[in-house]
Amino acid sequence: MAILATLSAAGAWGALVAGIARAAHDVAPSRTVRAALAAQALKASDTAHLRYLSASGSLLFEEGQASGTLPGSMRVHFSVGATFSGSFTIYTRAGSITGRGGATPHGSGVYESFAGSLTVTGGSGRYAHAHGRAQLYGTFNRNTYALLVQTVGTLHY
Amino acid sequence: MPWRTALRAALLCACLTAVAPARAHAGTTATLNAAFAPERLGRRSTLDFGFSFSAPAGQVPPPLTQIELRYPNNLGIALSGLGLATCTAAILEASGPSACPSDAVMGHGQALTGIVLGSTIITESAPITVLRAPDEEGRIELLFYSEGTTPVNTRIVFPGLLLPASAPFGGLVSIGVPLVPTLPGAPYISVIHLRATLGPIGVTYYEQVGSRTLAYQPRGILLPNRCPSGGFPFAAEFRFLDDSVADAGTAVPCPHPHKRPGASHG
Repeated sequence: MAILATLSAAGAWGALVAGIARAAHDVAPSRTVRAALAAQALKASDTAHLRYLSASGSLLFEEGQASGTLPGSMRVHFSVGATFSGSFTIYTRAGSITGRGGATPHGSGVYESFAGSLTVTGGSGRYAHAHGRAQLYGTFNRNTYALLVQTVGTLHY
Repeated sequence: MPWRTALRAALLCACLTAVAPARAHAGTTATLNAAFAPERLGRRSTLDFGFSFSAPAGQVPPPLTQIELRYPNNLGIALSGLGLATCTAAILEASGPSACPSDAVMGHGQALTGIVLGSTIITESAPITVLRAPDEEGRIELLFYSEGTTPVNTRIVFPGLLLPASAPFGGLVSIGVPLVPTLPGAPYISVIHLRATLGPIGVTYYEQVGSRTLAYQPRGILLPNRCPSGGFPFAAEFRFLDDSVADAGTAVPCPHPHKRPGASHG
């Protein structure tokens, strides 16, 4: 469950890359610059609206759209029990990001809120080496199984 | 009812003679039963579970104080649509389940309890209602309500907390069972048998659609598409007032696959 960041704000990404490239052109690339080129850190805040696709026992498979720092489509497999736990993949224009997360539900009623954390474990394309952590929270509709997830964290890639 | 008359007579007789404490409890054994109705993989179901205790002849089991019931992994209890509303122990103790929202009811059951008075075992059957309670310290909580009338008129509410459990179980319900006094000098009530359901059978919820209130049956526990090897495992640990412990386990066998028309053997 989660969302992480891209500099999909293409402007921000472009400016950063251009700045690093200029620095690299002006002087011999330092270890710091090479490291900056090799690894980026991005603080991200995203929201995903997921809808039910299928279920088996306590396992739900959902998909939807993520918006915010890292827009794209998202798929989530998660187990709903005393705790929520599962894995996610978000597909952005620059590549996919995968990870897993867990949360504890609170309250009762049709809408159940939850809070927890996620870990980014990898990805593809620009995010092939993605890793990071984020806090997640949201609501789960116990009638429709719709999921609203908000994440705030840092993505390294 | 004749059995009630008999119980009253036995109770009166026992009180007129002497109230003797229950004898020592050696070798209490427990059995656990579980079933799904219907049991069809990938479909909604009601969990029907029960346990019984056996004690030496002329005795009842020690009073029960704690139950830990482990249920299988990948059971869609949280996706059952059960327990959309909550009820509190205070409401139940004051007014019973009828004062709670209908959408808080998650199941029903029956308990058979007993005490030994003199040399007579007095039993009592009491209905049970299982309800969703507000979360307790971030944990899902259930409330079990039981009301007995004869021979012991009592109303008890006890909580069950859903906790994580290690594989092959998906979680456990930790139930603290209160001690129920009977008569001065007499032992606490002992549970002999309990059976309960968790699911839509016998449960009706209400939904507001515009200006109308519609009754419906909650969906029920979603069974996984695949049955675990060896069936759906259940296990329970029972703790008694005399510090003894009894364990029991069972597995709901995997359902036979439905034969497709024209399917050949071999």
